[in-house]
Amino acid sequence: MRVENLSVDLDSFHLRDINLRVEKGEYVCIIGPTGAGKTVLIETIAGFHKPSKGRIILEGEDITCKPPEKRGISIVYQDYMLFPHMTVYENIAYGARKKIRDKKSLEEEIMRIAGIMGIKHLLDRRPETLSGGEQQRVAIARAIISKPKLLLMDEPFSALDTRTTEKLRDFVKRVASEYGLTIIHVTHDIVDVWSLADKVAIMNNGRIVQYGEVEEVFSRPADNFVADFIDVNILDGEIVGSSRDVVLIRAGDILLKAKANTVIGQHVRVFIRPEDIYVTTEQKRIGSECFRAVVEKIVENGPYIHLYLSRNEIVLKAILTRGYAKCLGLSPGRQVYVHIRPENIRVART
Amino acid sequence: MASLKFSTLCIIIALIVSLILFSAFIALLVMISPSDFIRSLETKEMQYSLKLTITTSLISTFLAVIIGIPVAYALARKDFPGKNLVKTILDLPMAMPEIVLGITLLLLFGHTPLAQFLSMIGVKIVFSPLGIIVAQLFSALPYTLRILSSSYETINPRYELVSRSLGYGELETFVKITLPLSKAGLIASTAVAFARSVGAFGAVLILAGGVYMVTETLPITLYLNISYGNLSMAISAGILLIIVSFITIFIIEKMGGGKLWR
Repeated sequence: MRVENLSVDLDSFHLRDINLRVEKGEYVCIIGPTGAGKTVLIETIAGFHKPSKGRIILEGEDITCKPPEKRGISIVYQDYMLFPHMTVYENIAYGARKKIRDKKSLEEEIMRIAGIMGIKHLLDRRPETLSGGEQQRVAIARAIISKPKLLLMDEPFSALDTRTTEKLRDFVKRVASEYGLTIIHVTHDIVDVWSLADKVAIMNNGRIVQYGEVEEVFSRPADNFVADFIDVNILDGEIVGSSRDVVLIRAGDILLKAKANTVIGQHVRVFIRPEDIYVTTEQKRIGSECFRAVVEKIVENGPYIHLYLSRNEIVLKAILTRGYAKCLGLSPGRQVYVHIRPENIRVART
Repeated sequence: MASLKFSTLCIIIALIVSLILFSAFIALLVMISPSDFIRSLETKEMQYSLKLTITTSLISTFLAVIIGIPVAYALARKDFPGKNLVKTILDLPMAMPEIVLGITLLLLFGHTPLAQFLSMIGVKIVFSPLGIIVAQLFSALPYTLRILSSSYETINPRYELVSRSLGYGELETFVKITLPLSKAGLIASTAVAFARSVGAFGAVLILAGGVYMVTETLPITLYLNISYGNLSMAISAGILLIIVSFITIFIIEKMGGGKLWR
């Protein structure tokens, strides 16, 4: 699927020059802040909004002007949208009827997908009697049984609790590989991206600001917005030493070792994920150089602690488990030692 | 304490208003004896009037709903140039006196090229039973549109988008998803359209004329007999109108899932 220079003008919102390429069988997540245009983008791909410019190509065919029912694209919404006047069986059958005309084959296919999604026991129930997780499994089954060329999911887990979301991620993973689905999944949750996606697109203000392999995007954010959004520390520095594939970088008055091939004197940008920063209260050798910093702020975030560490002008964010942070007895103003392994520091030339 | 007092006051006002209305109904019912009521029902005039009222009301209700279903959908779901003007025009008969609606319809079907065309093809609306249907239709249509529009607006449009994405066209989606989901609104609008049609007076009087046993619906029977001083017939017609209204509300409550009596 290719989206080329797509622009959409709605009353209160605009999408601008969107380019996106999704290979067959690929799982792409789109993340971005609220109002970035994620839902408008996938609804335009589905055919619900008319683009003012650009093209949408699906399996080699230009579908830009095709009505939604002729595109072969299914959509799953966060609020399930199960038809309340139908049973679970009828809802799933509704998705299949346009593709499977034979009653026996239809029944077999419904039983097969109901088995995979673990909803066989719910087939005679009405949607309003199901839990959120069950409803979403039915919605996904209904979308998949229509054998879509592309499956769009708009924050499918956002209304569910953590445990149900984890289970559903497993279901989606299994179904995606079993049916060889091509999926675009809009989400707010970075965990969805890490656990499901091959690629990730970051959106802001109606534009895609970065698109690529998950590892690549998360370790080399294109700009400060992306870095901030996906929670990556960015430092500007200069290569001051080099031996084989390890370079020595000076960022402010911090010296960092990183695995990179750049020449001495080269100005670089350094990316460090908060969970790759290791903090101790005593100076230890644990396979990486360390430097001193002061705890500036401690923010509690569920089972984790977000630690803001400062050294002169530089502020780094580290994520620690609550238990480890308690062991260290951290408090604002306390001096700590910061360890970052060379392989966890990504370097880009500037 | 203050909120308790306020809610008690609200209940008292509701009880007083319903008591006044109920007393008015009772006053109508006790004005004539059951034997006079039955005698009135046995007259040819009342039987003709009742039959004509039911027949014309059923036809105009059917037309109001059939026209209302797509028009309300367009008003609730689609954007088109002049939508607000169209909405205002369609709502107008609800706000204006029925008698004015009657005059406008009389002029449209009596003195315009449309009237000449209809006359040419043999369709007579003015001062004919067909005029009753037209007057009832335009009296009922705004209410049908209002109820159906509200009903469509309460349906999340994403149901329709999901259906479209599963391969169903716009019409198929409307028939299989939107209409069943608006069932309650459909029943309510049908009942209200029927009640409006049965009770239509001013517009029917002006467009169809209050002609004895020709264009005589129940409200016209009431009016004609009051004019002649035949109180028993007039009251009987009034009672019949109340019975029809009561049955209509009962159907709305029953089919809409509500309970008439708690």
